[in-house]
Amino acid sequence: MNPSNSLGGDINPQQNPYLPLTGPPDNSQAQAQQQPAIPPHLKHQPTRSSNLKRQITDQLLAPIDILEYDRPSKKSKYPGLVSEGMDKRHPSSFQQLEKLGEGTYATVFKGRNRQTGELVALKEIHLDSEEGTPSTAIREISLMKELKHENIVSLHDVIHTENKLMLVFEYMDKDLKKYMDSRNSGGQLDYVTIKSFMHQLLQGIAFCHDNRVLHRDLKPQNLLINNKGQLKLADFGLARAFGIPVNTFSNEVVTLWYRAPDVLLGSRTYNTSIDIWSAGCIMAEMYTGRPLFPGTTNEDQLQKIFRIMGTPSERSWPGISQFPEYKSNFHVYATQDLRMFLPQIDQVGLDLISRMLQLRPEMRIGALEALGHLWFRDLGTLRAQQAQAQAQQQQFGGMGGMPPPGGYGYNSSMV
Amino acid sequence: MPPARTIRQRAINNENDENIGSTRVTRAKAAALTIPHDAGGENMVKKALGTKKSATNASISNAAPGQRKRAALGDVSNVTKTELVDSKEGKKVLNGKAGLVSKAAQNAGVQKLSRANSSRSILGAKDQNKKTTSSDLKRPASGSGVMGGAIKKRHTGSTGSQQSIKEENADSENEPPHKAAASTGVERVKTDTKQEVPTVASRQVEVEVKQAFAEGVQDLDAEDYNDPLMVAEYVGEIFDYLKVLEESTMPNPDYMDHQENLEWQLRGVLIDWLIEVHTRFHLLPETIFLAVNIIDRFLSARVVELEKLQLVGITAMFIASKYEEVISPHVVNFRHVADDGFSEEEILKAERFVLAALNYDLSYPNPMNFLRRISKADSYDIQTRTLGKYLLEISLLDHRFMGYHPSHIAAAAMYLARLILERGEWDATLTHYSGYSEEEIQPVFKLMVDYLAQPVVHEAFFKKYASKKFLKASILTRQWAKKYHPLYLDNNQMPTNRHYASLNTHNNKG
Repeated sequence: MNPSNSLGGDINPQQNPYLPLTGPPDNSQAQAQQQPAIPPHLKHQPTRSSNLKRQITDQLLAPIDILEYDRPSKKSKYPGLVSEGMDKRHPSSFQQLEKLGEGTYATVFKGRNRQTGELVALKEIHLDSEEGTPSTAIREISLMKELKHENIVSLHDVIHTENKLMLVFEYMDKDLKKYMDSRNSGGQLDYVTIKSFMHQLLQGIAFCHDNRVLHRDLKPQNLLINNKGQLKLADFGLARAFGIPVNTFSNEVVTLWYRAPDVLLGSRTYNTSIDIWSAGCIMAEMYTGRPLFPGTTNEDQLQKIFRIMGTPSERSWPGISQFPEYKSNFHVYATQDLRMFLPQIDQVGLDLISRMLQLRPEMRIGALEALGHLWFRDLGTLRAQQAQAQAQQQQFGGMGGMPPPGGYGYNSSMV
Repeated sequence: MPPARTIRQRAINNENDENIGSTRVTRAKAAALTIPHDAGGENMVKKALGTKKSATNASISNAAPGQRKRAALGDVSNVTKTELVDSKEGKKVLNGKAGLVSKAAQNAGVQKLSRANSSRSILGAKDQNKKTTSSDLKRPASGSGVMGGAIKKRHTGSTGSQQSIKEENADSENEPPHKAAASTGVERVKTDTKQEVPTVASRQVEVEVKQAFAEGVQDLDAEDYNDPLMVAEYVGEIFDYLKVLEESTMPNPDYMDHQENLEWQLRGVLIDWLIEVHTRFHLLPETIFLAVNIIDRFLSARVVELEKLQLVGITAMFIASKYEEVISPHVVNFRHVADDGFSEEEILKAERFVLAALNYDLSYPNPMNFLRRISKADSYDIQTRTLGKYLLEISLLDHRFMGYHPSHIAAAAMYLARLILERGEWDATLTHYSGYSEEEIQPVFKLMVDYLAQPVVHEAFFKKYASKKFLKASILTRQWAKKYHPLYLDNNQMPTNRHYASLNTHNNKG
């Protein structure tokens, strides 16, 4: 390929007659024309240009002669074009520490940024030589870059090498499952913690839904906890953006125990309500330390749900017989009082969880609505009390361990 | 989750392999048969392309010899002459369903058809309408709009006349299941909930979307609170957010200025071909829009050689499929459809390169979302929306739309569709749900009319929408434009507008 071509590839910013200029006047344009060799926005960030060079030499990304690695330009005017905020780092910028978990298409390690010492989670995705970048990874990266929220784990960086893709996430201490197991209480959490975690979980969900994203795999293992008592949604590998009206999707979503009955029945037109069902299951699990519906197969899962929630009929759920997985011979169970399974729950909390665990998706409460539920009314007070108690304890010779959920540093929107 | 992936691979192979074998690149082959004769001189295309044209054509023919693989772009040199519709044939085209498919028709323009049929295109549309609607109803009938109807349809699709069925399927997925779902009579007792649950949080729990409604605007979302698929609880926030995203995913509408080896006309050829691929693979409507956005943003950021343009196109489609589709075709299918011009490895490498260039940002707000949103203010009239969908897709092929936001183009598409079908004025409700007033719509609207008044240059696109299932939208709208464009176009304003020697006035309007 012709090297002069490859270098001739710079893009001169042009005045765009159609686009309104939204940003501040772009004086980098003039500079770019004077010194085309150094893209204007790189001049201020010398580290990036050296990285850029490395990429050129590495040729890791460049498919043969397709295109040259020329400079991204016009960041301010056409933000859609250009990378931003994603410093291209090398895998070696991170020291790989112990393995944190292994998923179906990725392995997660603890890592440390060699420069800053900051702890991170490194999610390594192996690239399939047949299929290339997995669609799960494409969606996860694209969506996580949009979803910046205190209750959603943040994606710092993406490093793409020859045979793997590495996502760099903020480090969280443990997931909710391990957090529960680490309690010497058979996994049960205390009232204030449950309330705080549920509130944060719903905030994260509401933010996703506001931004037209379904998580589709909420479960304790995918909720991360740090030692400030913060809870964040993680693992958006199954997430996707939805339109309105919601399109049909795969029904192979959500880990069985947390999968909504409409999805189990074969629905492909589920919506935001499937995340709410999962949240309801998680709430119950925090009370008891055990999964509420630990099914083994699709059928068994449905049966476990019906045994507690009652078997739905065409009368209680018009149209149910049309679901692909509907069987006319479902064992008929009467509806149980959820309180029998959650003895510790209070009346108001019971009301909330029953609104989340509605069999019919259209009856399930929305995340926003749930956040306004009476049950959360005293959360601010409870947090303050707990923080106070904790502070006193620490004064008297301090026990270590976790600060109160939602304790210091938690920037609550509650009044 | 592992199950999802397994299924995906399995299903892909039966579904798509069937397609490829038979249908691969027929258009390109057919086009290759066309006898080049130069009609380009006065073509709008040429003007749009500016001075680079001749140079590029030369370079194309240099590159082309012996390179069967680049079929889609290889026929570039023919592009300017494949005028299907000249002023005389225009009205015949109207009826040309059969003719449209044959190779002969491609070469010679569309033949046959008696004029008597032309008025039927609208009526025919109605029949079609009924069919589609009833198949849509299957879905809702099963309950809260949830059901396997769609799935089953997909399977049926692979047996018989897959293409058409599947396309209908795709179309039906556009169909808001809304009405039927509502008809299940699910009454959500929202009011109770609200009373029992005093709001404490700083976030208001008012489920109502509190928007400032101007006078004469109806709150159409209120009726959707019992329809889960409409996600009424979030609809306000979601559309606000999409408006933010459309700003951040805009390509540079002048990127051709820095592409020495390309020109706009080539982009049109590429996308016309991709539309054919898209149809062949039975992909969702969203996928082609995302693919084109990927291409344009990529070309805004990177310089591409002509020989690699098709690779960029096929890769963009590959990526868009992975993002949008439940089951996306295997890379092998993309290799085949490009006549094995690129290896799978090349496509996979290009995939990584393109993703990195876009910084993995695929958050493009799909214009289909806006179209459906406006359609809601239009009582989901299927004829309007089908026409609107065709008009919306014009913006994929004609680069002059690139500087406009997807929501703006969707508004213009619905505006023009309503104008053609005489559906009444662009009232306050439509203005509210589209976000654009009649006046704001004008520039985009005029571009569309201008495109329609020009000779057909994008054959695959034209043919796709000449089918009955799409209400013969391409034929109908062109017929309309031929007759009425002088009313709307100021010749001085449209740099590419051309006069027609004999304007056909015989067209009967449906």
